[in-house]
Amino acid sequence: MTRVIRSSAATLATGYVLLGFAALVLFAAPLRYAWQATVEDFRIELLQEDSERFAEVFRLRGPAGLSAFLTERVGMQIAGERILLLADASLRPLAGNLPAWPRGIPDRPGSYTLPVNIDGQRSMVSIVRTALPGGYNLLVGRDVERYAPLERRFWSGLAAAVAVLSVAGLLGGILIRRALLARIHGIQQTVAAIMRGDLSHRLRVRSSGDELDILAQTINRLLEQIEQLVHGVANVSNSIAHDLRTPLAELRSRLEELSLTRPSTEETFQEVDAAVSDVDSVIRIFNALLRLAEIDAGMRRSGFVEVDVADLAGKAIEFYLPAAELENLSFVFRDPGPVLVRGDRVLLGQAINNLVDNALKYVGEGGRITVEVMRRPDGTVTLAVADNGPGIPDAERSKATQRFYRGDASRGTPGVGLGLSLVEAIAKLHGGVLELTDNHPGLRAQLTLQGSLAAEEAESVQERRESLYVASDSTS
Amino acid sequence: MKILLVEDNERVVRFITHGLKESGHTTDHAENGRDGLFLAASERYDVIIMDRMLPGNLDGLAIIEALRKAANHTPILILSALSDVDERINGLRAGGDDYLTKPFAFGELLARLDALNRRGRQDAAQTTLEVDDLKMDLLSRRVVRGNRTIQLQPREFKLLEYLMRHAGQVVTRTMLLENVWDYHFDPQTNVVDVHISKLRQKIDADFERSLVKTVRSAGYMIRAEPALERSG
Repeated sequence: MTRVIRSSAATLATGYVLLGFAALVLFAAPLRYAWQATVEDFRIELLQEDSERFAEVFRLRGPAGLSAFLTERVGMQIAGERILLLADASLRPLAGNLPAWPRGIPDRPGSYTLPVNIDGQRSMVSIVRTALPGGYNLLVGRDVERYAPLERRFWSGLAAAVAVLSVAGLLGGILIRRALLARIHGIQQTVAAIMRGDLSHRLRVRSSGDELDILAQTINRLLEQIEQLVHGVANVSNSIAHDLRTPLAELRSRLEELSLTRPSTEETFQEVDAAVSDVDSVIRIFNALLRLAEIDAGMRRSGFVEVDVADLAGKAIEFYLPAAELENLSFVFRDPGPVLVRGDRVLLGQAINNLVDNALKYVGEGGRITVEVMRRPDGTVTLAVADNGPGIPDAERSKATQRFYRGDASRGTPGVGLGLSLVEAIAKLHGGVLELTDNHPGLRAQLTLQGSLAAEEAESVQERRESLYVASDSTS
Repeated sequence: MKILLVEDNERVVRFITHGLKESGHTTDHAENGRDGLFLAASERYDVIIMDRMLPGNLDGLAIIEALRKAANHTPILILSALSDVDERINGLRAGGDDYLTKPFAFGELLARLDALNRRGRQDAAQTTLEVDDLKMDLLSRRVVRGNRTIQLQPREFKLLEYLMRHAGQVVTRTMLLENVWDYHFDPQTNVVDVHISKLRQKIDADFERSLVKTVRSAGYMIRAEPALERSG
């Protein structure tokens, strides 16, 4: 991981430096070109014009005339700035400000810029050589050494810029790398701590909200979810182990006792039957878990159809009514006629039955259970099962839907503590929620689902009925 | 009954064939799909028990589909380790008549086989059911015992109807949940027993002979004469 970061920081810095170079070149090249074009070319042009003028003088007045003219001109010139020389066919100087024909001048006429030895000094000159009639040679030039500092400064300025850029790029690269590495290191350390098993660690998020912070936030959310899942799994496996151990322990002692005591046939069969029912309770827990897993996987969403929730609720009440009568409980059922949702008939039925069953178990002697199906103006459908029993204390209510959670009140009642988690899982599968609230007194469990009617349609079919199933009235 | 068992797990085969033999039924056994299909197509069986997953390329559902295509209407009970609701629906859609998830109680299997066997021969146009002096008129929905009319709730009527249609057979709680209430899940309560005891009060309480019997560790049965208890 470190190597990747290192190379990516280096690449970044190198890239920036190269980009700087490119920008400098793009800036300097036209400048240099413009300088060349305007200064040098213009200078040669001037020299050529001078040459032509001298050639004119030569044509009019002959070699002696030009010599006199040149000598007169040289007298007015600032020495060293300008080169003027008239020579005969054998390159012997006739007039001008050079004592001899300089070496290094090409044989043919033309304009040149080249180093030339003048007075034993080597200097850069721009020069125009003209051939005059009669084999005479004319040399007009200008010392350009005067401009050399300018060019030198240009190049050294460029070099300085490149140097500054390189140093800045290198420093920048190092700083970027260091900052990047520090934060990556932080992430690595956190992740390493998490991998060692402590899931509570979180990445530090700075307030700047840059890319790495966004990444850190995303990773934190991921960790949150992983932690919840892991804890959930740990809780569930603990609870499974615990809940399964009880019937298994019973089964084991039963079988061991059988093999030790070898009782009469009749007694043996009784014990074997009891052992089978121990196994059945284990199987029942597994079945409930498998059903939960099936729902959690969300595989059943493909088989959704229109389901009448009010009808399912009515059936559930009818199903539990005889049991309620035994406990002297009563049901109140409020529904607005058929209430359709898109869902899984079996699962929704099971969810409603679980809620009613739950209420029945905990409401207590003589209690009353209210089942209410409602269509909300926003198109959602609610199904509430409320009882006036002891309810669940505030602190415990959020835990009630945890898998295998069993409140203190439920110790000793049948069930494996999966009922409400199953209802919650079913609600989730249908894009709904299960809410547990205080019914003052008692518990109100409300399932909210998406209705299959549009909101305004739902509005128009508002109607309510209420049925009372009282314990004493066995023919209700 | 003559029963064909198509199942590859040796233990399950031993458990089922032994139990069926004890109950007086003969069983043929095939341990793969090819043999199963061959036997089912060449012999006459009252009921076929078909494992959902079999070794080889022919699985249980493929055999059932093949049999149904060949107009073989022998009742088929599907055995499966898959408990998903969807799997059950797939099994029934393929042409199976009932679906039982492993592990199961033998009593449950036997009761379902009995019910399937009976259904294969039942007269669909039957309008009255009779057990001893209890009569049920399916058209007028009247129930009479001796010369007394008995008032029943619609669901109680359905419960009694199911019991009477399977008179003399064990009916398990799961079968009642599935067929009377259409509940294909385990409500984890003993509410079915409460419904039965309520029904008993109405049809048995004031009479000398009680017709609805509890079969230990299996379920219930309605029957004319006092039945010996049977353990599953």
